[in-house]
Amino acid sequence: MLNKAVSAFKSQRLIIALGIFSASIIAFQLILMQLISFMQWYHFAYMIISIAMLGFGAAGTALALYRMQLLRASSWLVPLLMSTSGMFMLISFYLARLPFFQFDVYVLFVERKQFLILAANYLIFFIPFLLGALAIGVLLTKHSDEIGKYYFSNLLGSGAGGGIVVIILNRFFAIDALPLAAIIALSAAVICFERQQMKKLQLSALVAGLVLVIIGFVNPGQMPMSQYKALSRTMLLPEAEIILSKPDIHGRIDVVQSPALRYAPSLSFGFIGDVPVKKNVFSNGEFYGVVPRFMPNETNIHTYTTENLAYITGKRNNVLLPDAATGPAIAHALYNGAQNVHAIIEVKAVKELMKNELAENSSLLFHDDRVQVFFQDSRQFLFAQKGIVYDAIILPRMESFGGSTGLNAITENYTLTVEAFEQMWDKLSDNGVISITSWMDYPPRTTYKIAATLVHTLRNKGIDNPVDHLAAIRSWGTITFMISRQPMQDETIEKIREFCSRMLFDPVLLPGIKAEEREVYNFLEFDDFFNHLDEIVNVEHPEIFDRYPFFIEPATDDKPYFNRFFKPLRFKEIAEKVGSDDLPFLELGYLIVWITLIQGALLAIVLIILPLLRLKSLSKGKIYTIIYFGCLGLGYMFVEIIFIQRFILFFGHPLYAVSAVISTMMVASGAGSLLSGRIKNSVWLARSSTLLITLLILVYSLLMTPLLISTINLPVFMKVVFAFILISLPAFFMGMPFPGGIRLLDQGRKDQIPWAWGINGCMSVIATALATLISVEAGFRVVMVFALLFYFVAFLVARLLASR
Amino acid sequence: MIKPVLLKVSLVLSFVLLLNVYYAFPQDYERQRQHMVDAQIRGRGINDRATLRAMRAVPRHLYVPADQRAFAYSDRPLPIGYGQTISQPYIVAYMTEIIKPRKDFKVLEIGTGSGYQAAILAEIVDHVYTIEIVEPLGKTAGELLMRKYDNVSVKIADGYYGWEEHAPFDAIVVTAAAEHIPPPLIEQLKDGGRMIIPVGSPFRVQQLMLIEKKGESITSRSLMPVRFVPFTSADN
Repeated sequence: MLNKAVSAFKSQRLIIALGIFSASIIAFQLILMQLISFMQWYHFAYMIISIAMLGFGAAGTALALYRMQLLRASSWLVPLLMSTSGMFMLISFYLARLPFFQFDVYVLFVERKQFLILAANYLIFFIPFLLGALAIGVLLTKHSDEIGKYYFSNLLGSGAGGGIVVIILNRFFAIDALPLAAIIALSAAVICFERQQMKKLQLSALVAGLVLVIIGFVNPGQMPMSQYKALSRTMLLPEAEIILSKPDIHGRIDVVQSPALRYAPSLSFGFIGDVPVKKNVFSNGEFYGVVPRFMPNETNIHTYTTENLAYITGKRNNVLLPDAATGPAIAHALYNGAQNVHAIIEVKAVKELMKNELAENSSLLFHDDRVQVFFQDSRQFLFAQKGIVYDAIILPRMESFGGSTGLNAITENYTLTVEAFEQMWDKLSDNGVISITSWMDYPPRTTYKIAATLVHTLRNKGIDNPVDHLAAIRSWGTITFMISRQPMQDETIEKIREFCSRMLFDPVLLPGIKAEEREVYNFLEFDDFFNHLDEIVNVEHPEIFDRYPFFIEPATDDKPYFNRFFKPLRFKEIAEKVGSDDLPFLELGYLIVWITLIQGALLAIVLIILPLLRLKSLSKGKIYTIIYFGCLGLGYMFVEIIFIQRFILFFGHPLYAVSAVISTMMVASGAGSLLSGRIKNSVWLARSSTLLITLLILVYSLLMTPLLISTINLPVFMKVVFAFILISLPAFFMGMPFPGGIRLLDQGRKDQIPWAWGINGCMSVIATALATLISVEAGFRVVMVFALLFYFVAFLVARLLASR
Repeated sequence: MIKPVLLKVSLVLSFVLLLNVYYAFPQDYERQRQHMVDAQIRGRGINDRATLRAMRAVPRHLYVPADQRAFAYSDRPLPIGYGQTISQPYIVAYMTEIIKPRKDFKVLEIGTGSGYQAAILAEIVDHVYTIEIVEPLGKTAGELLMRKYDNVSVKIADGYYGWEEHAPFDAIVVTAAAEHIPPPLIEQLKDGGRMIIPVGSPFRVQQLMLIEKKGESITSRSLMPVRFVPFTSADN
């Protein structure tokens, strides 16, 4: 009786420890993503996800190969693995900051050793995940008789870890939060501490971990940033200093001042005077905006840029500024007499800075009676606001100075899709305009895509002759496009011509424009620019979309990748056009996903599959095992990626979407797995669950998007509830095929179980990057079709497995 | 058995040593420089005699960090630390030729960097005024330039204001990209003067822009894409 009570208590202790430890692993993963985004670029977030998956896959392999040894030592090994994993959360990050291991994305494609350094980083960060995954794996395997409870605790802990870290990162810098993840891991180790065996070893690891945590809190150390990041370069300017820093879920926000920091993007040659010094704001080390100020008697510098186009063509009382960043466009609107400005600020820390610490610096701009500041995603705002019309909707300037580096190629942007522009169009007053500015890029891509998007919007809104509603003007550096609700009148056209002449700008698109007007002040060396633009504007289905080596078709809600320009099949042509050395700098983001995919796949083979080859004398039917579990690995991750991408639109922020989807899927799948234990017939379980998932994906592919859009304006609480129901329904059943399949193998083909783990892990590593690439190339619907096919194939193979 | 192996290792080591000595030998830089001008510069259509002469004369290897000297005459930009680069030789030549430099010219350079562009200009024009904002770079370049040229003035300052005491200038060469062209620079350009400036983010693909001032009219002409991307990382 006493023994039973002791055993139950011990089991409960382990279940709690498992949940807490799982939370620390997810927290570490998300914090690491933030840290790497600051030091390098956020694209390496993919690398971290891939490394975490790799750790779990490799742990599965280790468990399969050394099952007996690991299980025998489990009572003292699990706490030891937990504390060493916690230790390595800090040690790995320390190692990655040593000069020897610092890689730099800008020289990644020109200095081969950078690939080795990147691979070394893979291995450094792999260790804590491997140790952690091994602890979890040993617990799950050891207590397979209570797998439901343990698996549930694991998934619940992971879900909670994701939720907690969102709160933490909004209040703490990622570097300060890192020891927190480690201390959570150590707490779990303390809870399941084994007093009977290897006490000294466990204690040593705990003490060492604690010492590292204290060091981590007291002296977190420097964060070496690439010398090519904007913040690094800015800090070299005379008297440059960071005067304010704030944590935010978007990343670290820094405010820098220096007497050499001036801001006047593509200022007219006609401007005479002094460009004022302004403080710069950086997000994760990248330029985010300047601290503007509004002085009614002081000339606003933007009136000397092409961005003034909307204001010279009419009185704009009501102005909407999507993604207004730090708000220079607010000052510009007020200078031009706007009476009611709606500014959407997407970064909370920036909004708080501008309202509080920087309020005086920005002449209380965010407190002006005429200005309403919304902390919201711009597309969410468009969905939410009803019955308000604007005289001008001014979008932020596109692209970085000098054009795209492709860093945003794989980032969803729902504010620049055709559907978003159509919503903006519906919010215009009778004389309203939408205006968007871009830096001229070489070779032209952004400029063409903006033109294509605007024309597409006009045609969708029933405008037969878009040219009558479209204007564009160009300075030496920028081009501003504008579409108007009414056809352009002669008077308006004359105003634009006069403005261009005064500012030394050139009109590019105007009703009735003459060829000789287009290059009076600013000459272009590439011959086809105007021909291409005319074709995009005048032809309903322009051939240039196929002919041009870059992808310049408009983005849509199905493929919301405005910054995706790379056509992989035109690689050679693009390399010839821009030079193969320059190519990576045009399409960096896209290439990084490919690198992650290839590197992840190679390491998955080396660390997961190759060790499994040591297992000889497998029973027949290995191929079905590989297909079944491979399909489950791919299918699960594909569904997860689809959900994340769809819920970005629904929640308006990637991190909220990631957090909601991962947490809900884990909890729901855990519950599904828990329930699957009650279904005795394994064949029926594997077959019916995979078929049901296939059918659910089919239904979701038809109904999910309209459902999400029709409920997007629900109150936040209702949205969360709705999202939970929508995600957990398929996720619940997705927790069943894996245990179902394992149980099938358990009935006589136990030697194949390691392969099941290994293949599942390997495919999960590959699936994240693969699903993203498919989504960028072909759209969400195609990713959904793939997910459906994977589960359907698993259904067919489950039958074959069962029939043998 | 061991002897042949030792012999082979010794031979390889000796060869590597000799190779290093060969590359470190000054005459070889001279040979590499002449080859650079013939292949990379004349070969790509730079014909201005003064520019070619200057490119042949200035020892580029002195203007790159010691660990980059082996690549000094290669057709590539090189890192000089502080997130900055020395442009590839062709771009330096192109930027020099495009301002149509003459003996009596007074030229302003914004962004001294390692001092190489200023040295090339100093070989051709009457006086070069060069401004660098990053102090350590400006100091090093200044010391190097002073050793050879008495017609170069180096100032560590914000290039935004130009160098008013010596204005107007016949030409202005801006080697650091900017997202606006400072009004004081336009003012300090002589009527009929030319300014060359790269437009675009550093370390990305940029466009060289020629600004010409003719009376009240100021025009821009985008010339060619250029890359200021280093081939190796650099220590600050």
